[in-house]
Amino acid sequence: MNLLWAVSALLLSCWRANASTAPNIITEPSEVSNQTSAVLSCNLTESSLPIKGSHWIHNGKVIEKSKSGDTTPYTILRLDKITHNSGGKYECVFLTDPEVKQTIEVKTLPHVAAYKHSEHGNEKDIGAMVCVSHGYPLPTDWTWFKEEDGAQTPIINGTTDKYEIKSTPNKTTLTINDLSIENDIGDYICSGTNELGTTSDKIHLRVRSRLAALWPFLGIVAEVIILVTIIFIYEKRRKPDEITDGSAPLKSNSTENNKDKNVRQRNSN
Amino acid sequence: MSPAPAEEMGYKPLDGGWGWMVVVGAHISIGFAYSTPKVLSIFFKEIQENLGASSSEIAWISSIMLAAMYAGGPVSSLLVNRFGSRPIVILGGLMCGVSMVTASFGNSMVYLYLCIGVIGGCGLSLNLNASLTIISKYFLVKRPLANGLAMAGSPVFLCLLAPVNQYLLHKFGWRGSLLILGGLMLNCCVAGALMRPVIPPGKPFSSAPQKKVKEQPNKSNTKLKGRMQNAKKFLDLTFFKDRGFVIYLIGSVMFIFGAYGPIVFLSAYAIDQGVEEYSAAYLLTIMGFVDMFVRPATGLIASSKWIRPRIQYFFSFAMVFNGTCHLLCPLLNSYTFLVTYAVFFGVGFGMVFALIFECLMDLMGNERFPSAVGLVTIIECIPMLLGPPTAGLLVDIFGDYKYLFFMCGSVIVTGGLFLFVMNIYNYHMLEKEKPAKDREQNQKSIESQDQVSASEVEMKQTPEAAMERTEPEAKETDGAQRDPLPENAETPY
Repeated sequence: MNLLWAVSALLLSCWRANASTAPNIITEPSEVSNQTSAVLSCNLTESSLPIKGSHWIHNGKVIEKSKSGDTTPYTILRLDKITHNSGGKYECVFLTDPEVKQTIEVKTLPHVAAYKHSEHGNEKDIGAMVCVSHGYPLPTDWTWFKEEDGAQTPIINGTTDKYEIKSTPNKTTLTINDLSIENDIGDYICSGTNELGTTSDKIHLRVRSRLAALWPFLGIVAEVIILVTIIFIYEKRRKPDEITDGSAPLKSNSTENNKDKNVRQRNSN
Repeated sequence: MSPAPAEEMGYKPLDGGWGWMVVVGAHISIGFAYSTPKVLSIFFKEIQENLGASSSEIAWISSIMLAAMYAGGPVSSLLVNRFGSRPIVILGGLMCGVSMVTASFGNSMVYLYLCIGVIGGCGLSLNLNASLTIISKYFLVKRPLANGLAMAGSPVFLCLLAPVNQYLLHKFGWRGSLLILGGLMLNCCVAGALMRPVIPPGKPFSSAPQKKVKEQPNKSNTKLKGRMQNAKKFLDLTFFKDRGFVIYLIGSVMFIFGAYGPIVFLSAYAIDQGVEEYSAAYLLTIMGFVDMFVRPATGLIASSKWIRPRIQYFFSFAMVFNGTCHLLCPLLNSYTFLVTYAVFFGVGFGMVFALIFECLMDLMGNERFPSAVGLVTIIECIPMLLGPPTAGLLVDIFGDYKYLFFMCGSVIVTGGLFLFVMNIYNYHMLEKEKPAKDREQNQKSIESQDQVSASEVEMKQTPEAAMERTEPEAKETDGAQRDPLPENAETPY
């Protein structure tokens, strides 16, 4: 009887020992959503393995400052100001053999920014507007709006040939075909939505007329023609003087003619 | 190509008066020629986005334009010899204008290569050659100054066109900008209109009755001259027999090889040294600004009576100065030092470019200059296209910019020293050959005064002898005698 009890106790302790070799990390909090600051903590329980240290990883990159040689099964990471850059997947890593880690997701609103806030397009040409997003999680939905008289009209992909929207989680492109000066000038809004909410940004589109450059061009051509004409006329007016300078007979002839003319005029008078 | 000596006597360059308007025209023409390939790069990014081209594809536009501009030299010198400068510059201006306007409607890279690269480049080569030639016809005593002022067009237009192009790009997009740039290049036609052809007295045009007796032989002269000019096409290679020309060619090839590398890589080097991007770009602006003033100043100095007879040595000094700047550049790393380097680089670069064509005019004389400059530009094409990539290769291999500066600096210094030593040798040899040539010349001038047409035929049969005859005339008046004013014209017309 005593032997049976001892064996069962031994088996029980073995089983319990087996059960307790699977370490468990308790994370606090399990997820951060839309907070301005947070303190992430990891508690390693039920592990008898020696702990050589711990550190944190953000989006696959080790955070150097978080490296610690403490053998305590408890580690914290302070996030004082959570921006879209600091969102992402945080992993606390305990340096045991083998390593154990647990993930805490820090979620923020998407950060949507336009590539360029002022875009140019040429009339009857193609105009493209791009918005990009950073943060975690990346937007799952992108929508474009056109601002008309204060109201936002959604632009829907595929209804007309005019608009084309191509979206990936971190980038969206609105392509407008056959730009027209009357209809397409204005503000366009791109907005990205993830599980926490929506943010948007505005782009102003300017359409240049095809003929806009024509007027300065014609002005310059006119200037060139006028200058060339002036130069040639000036030269023609000076040339006769240069030729008569060299030859005396011609000059005297011309003065004689003038005298004759004068005489004739007087006679006629 | 020398007409009868009697006609040679009658022409003395204006050295002023309308000549200064011609310098203005040459300034505009040369300005567009040198600065356009550089400022076009401002449009590249937008063209790249619009037409979907890669960076290397887009860079070909500038390369093709520069190559066409330099390679078109011999053709344009042929045309200038035949038609004179004015029609050629007007034609060049029209070609450039048309090239830019048609390019603004382009939709493919090949179309742009043809329009901007080939047609634009050919137009610019016509401009360049003809402008340099007309200066040599209008100026003799003040020619270095005129050359300096005309060559100053390059940095002036670079500084003008760069911000203008930026503004145009922002306001009108690349197509509109090319259209307007085409219009601006039509101003080369205005420059061409200013280049009134020089009609020396004694030509059939003048109506002086005394010359009627000579009209008959004059007409036969022009016919023979025409035939000789056609024959000249095949005689280009005789330039290589001219010692001075070969020396000049080697020196200028070495200069061009090393000259453009530092310009292309200066900003990259500065950024590498820790200077911020905006300040690094500013270095090139400083260099261009200094260049603008140094070129006319060098021309003025070179016109002075102390330097003029020794202008070839001044040229080699300028090259050595430029090369030394490059060699000293990698020594210190502060931004102030880089700014100082940019200033001295501008000085050296301006000095060399102000003198580069003046020295060729000095060596060749008026009549041979157009063909000589055509030959020089087509040969210079090779080092110009090879220089920057070789410099880039050095940077890639060694990972350090200083080897680039060492290479370019040493090549230029070697070129300068080569020119200096070889010019001493050349003038020495000319002094030795002079008495023999003088006797030959006297004999021949007596013969030709007797029978004008007979000597023309003689000359036609022995074109090489004729060229040798003009050679000592040119050399005489240049270096050996310290007299900047030649009595007989080394400048027939």
